[in-house]
Amino acid sequence: MHIDWFVLFCQIFNFLLLVYLLKRFLFGRIIKAMDDREAKIAARFAEAEELKVKATEAAGLYEKRNQLLNEAKEKMLNEATMAADAKRKELMEKVRVEVDQVKARWQDMLVREHDAFFYDLRQRAAKQLYATARKALSDLADADLEERIVDEFIRRVKALDEEKSIQIRNAIRGGGNKVIIQSAFSISASRQAQIEEVLKKQITNGFTLRYMRQPEIVSGIELRVNGHKIAWSLNEYLETLVESLTETLQKEAHAA
Amino acid sequence: MEIVSLNQISPDQVIIFTWGFIKLNVTILYTWLVMAILMVISWLATRNLSSEMNVSHWQHFLEVIISVVRGEISEMTKKGADNYVPLIGTLFLFICTSNVLVIVPGFVAPTSSITTTASLALCVFIAVPYYGISRNGLFHYLKEYFQPNFIFFPFHVMGELSRTLALTVRLFGNIMSHEKVIGILLAVTPLLFPVIMQVLGLLIGVIQAYIFAILSMVYIASALAEDEHHAHVEVKQQSVTTV
Repeated sequence: MHIDWFVLFCQIFNFLLLVYLLKRFLFGRIIKAMDDREAKIAARFAEAEELKVKATEAAGLYEKRNQLLNEAKEKMLNEATMAADAKRKELMEKVRVEVDQVKARWQDMLVREHDAFFYDLRQRAAKQLYATARKALSDLADADLEERIVDEFIRRVKALDEEKSIQIRNAIRGGGNKVIIQSAFSISASRQAQIEEVLKKQITNGFTLRYMRQPEIVSGIELRVNGHKIAWSLNEYLETLVESLTETLQKEAHAA
Repeated sequence: MEIVSLNQISPDQVIIFTWGFIKLNVTILYTWLVMAILMVISWLATRNLSSEMNVSHWQHFLEVIISVVRGEISEMTKKGADNYVPLIGTLFLFICTSNVLVIVPGFVAPTSSITTTASLALCVFIAVPYYGISRNGLFHYLKEYFQPNFIFFPFHVMGELSRTLALTVRLFGNIMSHEKVIGILLAVTPLLFPVIMQVLGLLIGVIQAYIFAILSMVYIASALAEDEHHAHVEVKQQSVTTV
């Protein structure tokens, strides 16, 4: 086999030239591009890793903050609940007190109205009764009501037992020997003398008698002295009437 | 002019121009053609190289080839693969291009000339001690010739020479014989069978390029070899030389 040495060296030169050229224009460039890209990818990975670490740290931080916020929220919620409960109890107590006060006021008002109503009823009934009795007595017995009342008063004085008489006597003495007789009507002088005489005879002599007209004593007469009383009036009858009426009203209220 | 004839065993004999001892034959001419083609392709492929994430299909293709070459080299050298990529890559591209271009009518592969294959083998023959000495030092390199003892020195030398000769003859024999077979078949058989042989020839051409490049790398790697991967290189060499 013939080998041409010139061609051999030419081919060696050609090949080495080709190695150089390809290294310069092909492999070098491609390897550089690949290495650059690898470096960029590595840099991106490193950056991503760093960001991941930062993100993990941030996530941990935010989780911790979130936990703290939740704890604070829970605490505030508990405090708010407790405050609301306390406030609710306070308001309930306040309302209860107010309701009790209103109820008490209402009950007071009711009692006052009740009293006023029955007082008025009693007054009207007494007046009516008084007028009716006076007219009936005048028409049927040809008698005066006031006179009959004074007679009844005198009868009651006379009917006093010894013990009661002593008590009243002592009361007169204890009260400065002053006796007041109150009546809803005027008492004539003769009748006053009659009363005084009966009193002196039944109880004692040493006292000063004074008469007062008092419209509140409905169709009645009374002697008051230092805690003791001798009296007659329609009030006793009216009390029965009022009691009966009150009982009736209460029964109807319960039924309603 | 008939480029290849049965009585012309090598394209070296087809002389185009002569001036004194300087002569231009078909081998040199087609070598330049292959070089020009490779340079044009290189220029076209690398003019828009990008190191960004989005690259062209061309660049992807080239990078795949380079990656394969680097991978093969790395398997044997373990480190510094980029130092050998230009030599091994150029060997592969030059031989492969030369062998593939035989499909073009009128083209004669420079590798069918024993002068070309000898020059390539000589380059490898020189590259082996160059890389070995530059990496491990002269003493370490020479010491390998006396392993396991001095008696083996002549055998090592013979091995160096014989494998260079083997590189030369293997490539030359495969490519030249293929061309000659095609030529004979064209003369005695219909067209269809030579076409099949051409396709087979392309496959052989690529395989031979791969074998030449890999064996070159194996020889270089054996010179670089340190104790830990010496055995691996030996195994690789045996598996390739059996092809």
